[in-house]
Amino acid sequence: MIPHGYFELLPPRNRFAIALNRKDNMHSRFTGFVLVFAFSLASAGWCQSAAPGPEQSSAKGAEVPENPQATTKVPTGVILVKGAWSSASDSVTPVPEGGIVTGGAFRDEYFGITYGLPKDWTEKYHGPPPSDSGRYVLAQLQPAETSGTTAGHILITAQDLFFTPLPTANPLELASYEKDNLQSDYKLDVAPKQIKVASRAFSFYAYSSPVAGLRWYVLGTEIRCHAVEFVLTSRDTKLLDSWVADMSRMQLPAEASASGGQGGGAFPVCIKDYAKAENLIARVDPVLTDHRFSPIPVRIIIDKSGKVKHIHFLSAFPGQDKVIADALQQWKFKPYMQDGQPVEVETGIMFGRAPPALTSSQDAKPSTK
Amino acid sequence: MSAGESQLTCVSFDIQGGIVIRPAKITCVLVVALSLAGITFAQADAGKNNHGGGGGGGGQGVTDPGVQARSRGTGQTIISPQNDPTGYTVFFDDGLDRFQEVEQVSNAANTGLGPRFNSNSCSSCHAFPAVGGSGPAVNPQFTFTTEGVSPRDTMPSFITATGPTREARFPFFFNSNGTVNTSAPNGGVEDLFTVSGRADAGSCKLQQPPFAQAVATNNVIFRIPTPTFGLGLIENLDDSTLLKNQAANLKNNFGIAGTFNHNGNDGTISRFGWKAQNKSLHIFTGEAYNVEMGISNELFPQDRPLPEEDTAGTGLPANCLNLSQKGYPEDEINPQATPNTAVLDDVSAFANFMRFLAAPKPGQVVMNGQAVSSQAIAQGKALFSSIGCATCHNPSPGVTQVSSFVPALSHVQVNAFSDIEIHHMGTGLADNVGQGGAGGDQFRSAPLWGLGQRIFLLHDGRTTNLLTAIEDHASSGSEATTVIQNFNSLSTSQQQEVLDFLRSL
Repeated sequence: MIPHGYFELLPPRNRFAIALNRKDNMHSRFTGFVLVFAFSLASAGWCQSAAPGPEQSSAKGAEVPENPQATTKVPTGVILVKGAWSSASDSVTPVPEGGIVTGGAFRDEYFGITYGLPKDWTEKYHGPPPSDSGRYVLAQLQPAETSGTTAGHILITAQDLFFTPLPTANPLELASYEKDNLQSDYKLDVAPKQIKVASRAFSFYAYSSPVAGLRWYVLGTEIRCHAVEFVLTSRDTKLLDSWVADMSRMQLPAEASASGGQGGGAFPVCIKDYAKAENLIARVDPVLTDHRFSPIPVRIIIDKSGKVKHIHFLSAFPGQDKVIADALQQWKFKPYMQDGQPVEVETGIMFGRAPPALTSSQDAKPSTK
Repeated sequence: MSAGESQLTCVSFDIQGGIVIRPAKITCVLVVALSLAGITFAQADAGKNNHGGGGGGGGQGVTDPGVQARSRGTGQTIISPQNDPTGYTVFFDDGLDRFQEVEQVSNAANTGLGPRFNSNSCSSCHAFPAVGGSGPAVNPQFTFTTEGVSPRDTMPSFITATGPTREARFPFFFNSNGTVNTSAPNGGVEDLFTVSGRADAGSCKLQQPPFAQAVATNNVIFRIPTPTFGLGLIENLDDSTLLKNQAANLKNNFGIAGTFNHNGNDGTISRFGWKAQNKSLHIFTGEAYNVEMGISNELFPQDRPLPEEDTAGTGLPANCLNLSQKGYPEDEINPQATPNTAVLDDVSAFANFMRFLAAPKPGQVVMNGQAVSSQAIAQGKALFSSIGCATCHNPSPGVTQVSSFVPALSHVQVNAFSDIEIHHMGTGLADNVGQGGAGGDQFRSAPLWGLGQRIFLLHDGRTTNLLTAIEDHASSGSEATTVIQNFNSLSTSQQQEVLDFLRSL
């Protein structure tokens, strides 16, 4: 039993309360209901843009319930206390990390990808939240539970090219950079080149670890200024080849390209560093207090009139998103014109302290390994 | 307390239950005893463990070689007596002495303990395989209630005779009706013991935190002591080296992208503690002296109430303050003391000890009485790197800056097997405790040097089995899941080589 009077004077203050106030502004009540429901099922789901399947129950780092209740037992497998995390100004606009595995396919509405998994494959564990360097783990796929050595696995990642500290502007350059900086543990099997997958241009290169007997196929394409990479890992070359063949059934947006997927069509046009003085009519800077030394990468969508329509925080501490969102909503841009018509623009802004960028391959020789 | 007053004995047990070991060169008996106990414990556990683990499919027929018994010389100073122009060797020895002193509440040479504490000596927890290490095989905390260290207290259920030495934290505050308020994060250390009932504690009577309730509501997490070997080298890595490593490592194809914990005011990289929450060895030590032993010092000058007492505004009761009767802080410099080492406060002496404590050296691995071949170790090292473990557990995150302390800390390759970054480790390891910029699921890549002689593994000591510790890296939200998938793609013999290599560290 708790000693008499031991906790009677506990104050209700906590940063979650602040977070919840924030969420009142930034997420819909409906999302709140979904979150509470998901939490009540023992582990909360991400629920950013689609109802999660069973695999999502403890995924993407579970979410904070909107109306936390006193509980007789702290749930296991739930991340309730978060550091820097992703969030968005609304729950309708898709975000990169909103992809899900359901019905034997990986679907990511933000990227417009539908990828049918190999038979009996699944995502056992979801990836971490986006990093402050703009790295996403979109899916980690593997055969359903096996015993003994596994046949292999597929990792789907995305690197936001607005925020990468690597000196690469597209998947082809990224593949070339990775090849140039391949660790001595690996042997290059196929040099970077461009191939067609599902009628779209992809970068491709392959390497292997002689000591481990593992092979990696890395296929990348650019969508909305992200390098989306499929990393296929197995001992078996035939298996890897078959997985690549399976990818031909993948659905991708028309813009997907090894060196130039820059939005457009159904998506906003993406332009790096669009939020510069010559494009800005009005700007109010946020005043950051706590954790101001951490990078806070933010993607925004600017509507045809030049107003900020959507804000996606890749990584921000609780409270920072509110402060930055309040400021961004006062920004006004010159409308971006394409063929004489205003179009929506997606761009990135780094608040806080930007991490140092590497300027050449030579920079990537850390004191390691 | 003051320095330079200790009695020299190889190994003895203080009447209050603390372990006294002096001098530096005679840690032999205890270390050997604990080594043997640890080996028995770890290997017994290892033998049972042929499981699939968190990643699925890994580990059948793979055995943790267990804690390695043969001395690797761990616990020596990094300072070469022949190259010590600044004379810090005596400060290392002095720090080592003080690190092993058993603290009393009052009326003794070494005072200031409590009113709440987890142990009464640094070396009782930082004990294995040598003074400065992690928890020993026989938990000294387990006898505190029966041997007079905390006579009125109840031993928490999670402190056992051969379990890990632990501190406890409640992730969330409780409501007054005993339920947990998951919207009220706590996360502070809940000291296990009180000075209540001790003859040297006057009328101070305190209740322990409600550990049974915390266990029943799943509202308690644990941390074990981080080993302190080689920390002077980690302290002397400059930020730019670490930042460059971080950027360069983003080329990995494992889905790994860590970040750093930062010191709140100057924004530099903090690096000590399970979540890299402490900036320097001084801060690390000062906080531990205050939190773990209840001794106020120049960095943390007040006696520390529990988070609940602090939040409620009640603080510690008046009759539990200034128990040493010497005022605050209880640890301070001694301006007129001689020799010059005795001028230092304990915290500075502890920091010196850790700063000059040499990094662990790799060594031979013996499993089931047979030496593992050097080829297998080398193979394991290559596999460790190939499958991605080395992305976070960077074998060498850099070369140290020029040190103003001693030449031995200058221009040294730091073979820590850590990137000093914090990484999301997923729901399986998350403890829902935020520290600085680290959230409830983020942990520093634990330096793996010395792993061959660690008994309890992971931040909370949940396992003694290396294979279990590896597999536990995979869970939803973890950056390590793909690496564990790679591990599970290895053959059984390859997985064995990885474990063999790790126990060589």
